[in-house]
Amino acid sequence: MELWATTQEALRLLVTGDATLWGTVWISLKVSLIALLIATPVAVATGFALASIAFPGRRAAVVVLQSFLSFPTVVVGLVLYVLLARSGPFGDMGLLYTQTAMIIGQAIIAFPVLAAFTLASVQGADRIVRETAVSLGATRTRAAMTTLFEVRFAVMAGLFNGFGRVISEVGCAMMVGGNIAGLTRNIPTAISLETAKGEFAQGIALGIVLIVLALIINGVFHLLQGEGDLK
Amino acid sequence: MTTKPVTPMLTITRLSKAFGDRVLFDINNLALNPGTLYVLTGDNGSGKTTLQRILAGLETANDLQLTFAGESIEGAFPARWRRDIIHVHQHPYLFHSSIADNIAYGLKMRGLAAAERQPLAAAAMQWAGLDARAGVPPKRLSGGERQKVALARAKVLEPKVLLVDEPTANLDRHARLQIVELLQKTVAAQRTVVVACHDREIIDLPGAVRLNLEGGQLTM
Repeated sequence: MELWATTQEALRLLVTGDATLWGTVWISLKVSLIALLIATPVAVATGFALASIAFPGRRAAVVVLQSFLSFPTVVVGLVLYVLLARSGPFGDMGLLYTQTAMIIGQAIIAFPVLAAFTLASVQGADRIVRETAVSLGATRTRAAMTTLFEVRFAVMAGLFNGFGRVISEVGCAMMVGGNIAGLTRNIPTAISLETAKGEFAQGIALGIVLIVLALIINGVFHLLQGEGDLK
Repeated sequence: MTTKPVTPMLTITRLSKAFGDRVLFDINNLALNPGTLYVLTGDNGSGKTTLQRILAGLETANDLQLTFAGESIEGAFPARWRRDIIHVHQHPYLFHSSIADNIAYGLKMRGLAAAERQPLAAAAMQWAGLDARAGVPPKRLSGGERQKVALARAKVLEPKVLLVDEPTANLDRHARLQIVELLQKTVAAQRTVVVACHDREIIDLPGAVRLNLEGGQLTM
């Protein structure tokens, strides 16, 4: 009965446009999207290079990249904390407990996901894709772009996966953001705090937002895939 | 009455390929003329595909001396030759876009504007008899139709040499005849066409010159 009442309160907060709640959602989206915007070009280029350029130590680089996939986000937060803390090498920049610190952390967390998805998709693309492009007069760079375009849906899956990982991670955001209301409090850290305080309505409302976001992202992805299929 | 001697389009002075100690083939002095259909035969594993890939610059050879359109090279295949020597894969890859975009891909790579590409691609589609299938996504095309798109995609670039790998394998008779017709039209346009296949329909075509790759040697 209490769960139902709490859920009703959560829905009320959502539909009445509760400023605190929607402010937290906005911070979450802003931080995660900027982090992805920064990480995506570098990660896609890295994944593509690892898949298509032979160089000494490539296998080791792939192993390291794939290991980062299972790296706990709280460890990323810890390392970043040590670097950004006042006594750390970048302490003078005053970035700790700012959205910038959260963005850096989330970009680091998203990077291996995006790079590994790109690596796998380019490796999975048949050699014939690149050869067809070359045979039809594409330069090496254009052939590479064509290959990347051909595996775009797999790369996009990596992008959505990366977004899912950063928008829901709590460890790093808590450590380097500090969970400051209205500044660095995002959805996962807010849920954690509200639950600890016994304020379940806020937590459930934010949880609903996260679930709805996940549904929207997956819906958009399937819609895009569908269009690609029909072209 | 004397006939004017034909200048070969592509001359293989020396071409050898080995994998470790195993010599796949070692070919000397072979001239391929324009307006001629060459049918490359040989057992599976004899190196037909590898030979075509080397001639298209998609694979390296151990020793390579070629003369193409009057220009001789030794060693590396010049990238610029890819404009005029095109390879069509046995299982052509069609890009995830429309048939027209697939056909126009090479034109786009050559820097032609969309307005210039469109009529050329449309003409190539008509040449291949693909007009009625224009709106069909490439992934839903049959094997024969995929081959036709691949041939149209190569034809639109007007290559001097067309290397085609097993274009009629696994196709029904109707589709095979359509592919054969496209190959004949290409030869009639004074192109040098080299088809690797076991298809009697192609081997027995009037005017076709058989090249048999056996024991590492190419015999005419």
